Amino acid sequence: MLKLFTRKPAGHVRDSIALDLGNGRTVDVARVRHPRARSLKLSVDERGIRLTLPVRASQAAADRFLLAHREWLRARLEELALAHVEPLRPFVTARLPLRGDWLPVEWSRATSNRVHLADGVLHMQVRGAVDGMHASPALRRALQDFYMAEARADIARWLPDYLPDLPRAPTRITLKRMVSQWGSLSPAGVVALDLALVLAHPSAFRYVLVHELCHILHPDHSRAFWDAVDTRFPDWRDERAWFARDGRSLKATLHALLD
Amino acid sequence: MFFRNLTLFRFPASISFDDLETKLAGAALKPVGPLEISSRGFVPPLGRVDGDEGALHHRIGDSLWLTLGGEDRLLPSSVINDLLQKKIDDYEAKNERRPGGKMRRQMKDDLVQELLPRAFVRPVRTDALVDMKHRVIAIDTSSRKVAEAVVSQLREALGSFPALPVNAEVAPRAVLTGWIAGEPLPDALALGDECELRDPADTGAIVKVQRMELAGDEIETHLEAGRQVARLALSLDDHASFVLGEDLVVRKFKLLDGAVDQLESTERDDLRAELDARFALMAGEFQRLFEVLEPALHLSAVD
Repeated sequence: MLKLFTRKPAGHVRDSIALDLGNGRTVDVARVRHPRARSLKLSVDERGIRLTLPVRASQAAADRFLLAHREWLRARLEELALAHVEPLRPFVTARLPLRGDWLPVEWSRATSNRVHLADGVLHMQVRGAVDGMHASPALRRALQDFYMAEARADIARWLPDYLPDLPRAPTRITLKRMVSQWGSLSPAGVVALDLALVLAHPSAFRYVLVHELCHILHPDHSRAFWDAVDTRFPDWRDERAWFARDGRSLKATLHALLD
Repeated sequence: MFFRNLTLFRFPASISFDDLETKLAGAALKPVGPLEISSRGFVPPLGRVDGDEGALHHRIGDSLWLTLGGEDRLLPSSVINDLLQKKIDDYEAKNERRPGGKMRRQMKDDLVQELLPRAFVRPVRTDALVDMKHRVIAIDTSSRKVAEAVVSQLREALGSFPALPVNAEVAPRAVLTGWIAGEPLPDALALGDECELRDPADTGAIVKVQRMELAGDEIETHLEAGRQVARLALSLDDHASFVLGEDLVVRKFKLLDGAVDQLESTERDDLRAELDARFALMAGEFQRLFEVLEPALHLSAVD
């Protein structure tokens, strides 16, 4: 009988509200009711500001929560603005990230969109009309293909050091754009790595590769797994701390350049 | 016997192929049992000789020819579902209630057990060429799943076989697009008459072109619109034609008259001698193709 009177919780309900930050600036906050949310949560990243609410949280509580955290929100937005990366602009962008460095870029016109690296300089070849403000999808794709190729070259260089000690080689290694993860190993033995890793310093990338390869030995995060990581990559704690601190901005940089 | 597709994997120099015949014999194909869905194992590449089992590998110089055979039982799910529905209807008519989930599962299992021994057995085979000089294995399939199955069977037979899909250290799409846009091709390669162009967006337009001159205004228009080459037909001298994909799978691999002429000049009655000659020719052309593609696409070694 009780069932008749209780409302069935809705799934994701999403809307957007404007919030006055108090310094004359108004920002959009995405408000999401999530069936598994247990408390109110405010988060800020390169995708925007998001307020997550439990299904039954009241509107007034949400507004109070937002107002109470206005200061925090302002500080986080300033931090993000400092780390802001300009999108790719043909013949304007002067430096691009690769392997923990920002390399100088030389632009030229050619018969096809292509990126290649020579003597520490990124040569960007552009085909077709250029408006100077936006990179064409073909040019962004060419940059993505270049990053993929560089990542594959790094992996090919490091992999032989680790293969002999593993019971089997990974079935294949794929690179993709991941939202929050850095890597994964599927039950079929496919290692997936985030493309943003190629922008990080090489030892961070190498750590993620070693981490996923060790999952072939131990498909968990047990003590034995971390021992296996430790013998192959003793400085893993430093890299893990680096990801916790700077990982988000790495993903944001790739997002700004390719999307 | 000529391979039609080539899916490539590379393996380290430390792999030894000594005692290969004994190791393969341990993983030879066993007939599929009456209650098994499928079986896989190595079979003689040259077939049986006068009723005698042939060797499970065939070697010419640095090239090995292996064949993974298999037997699959054909039991379409629509047949099972149809018979299951009839059984359920009978049960309902007799007992005046529908069978529960557990009982339906049991009925289905019983049906499968009953039908499997009567199902057709379809033989399958996949050939593989191991080039020990370049440490690469080419599998005659364009399906990644089938190719990975062959590698994993070989791993089981040899104990260890850390083969990885061939890896390009440049963007294959950029290289292929460059070739069609007028950049010089590697010596020995020439453009064919087929290509596939894709929009950079994942859900963008796809243009497939066949039997058309690739150097022309029509293709230029597509390149101007930002489309990039995902597959490109090429020919290796006058000896082989093929379609190279951005996934580095070689499709529609075909030996041309320039190569096949060498075969026809000699008369052979014996089937084995014929297959042996064909494999020798194929292996030679494959080595030449790999020597061209390796530097052009910066294919990495695994050690």
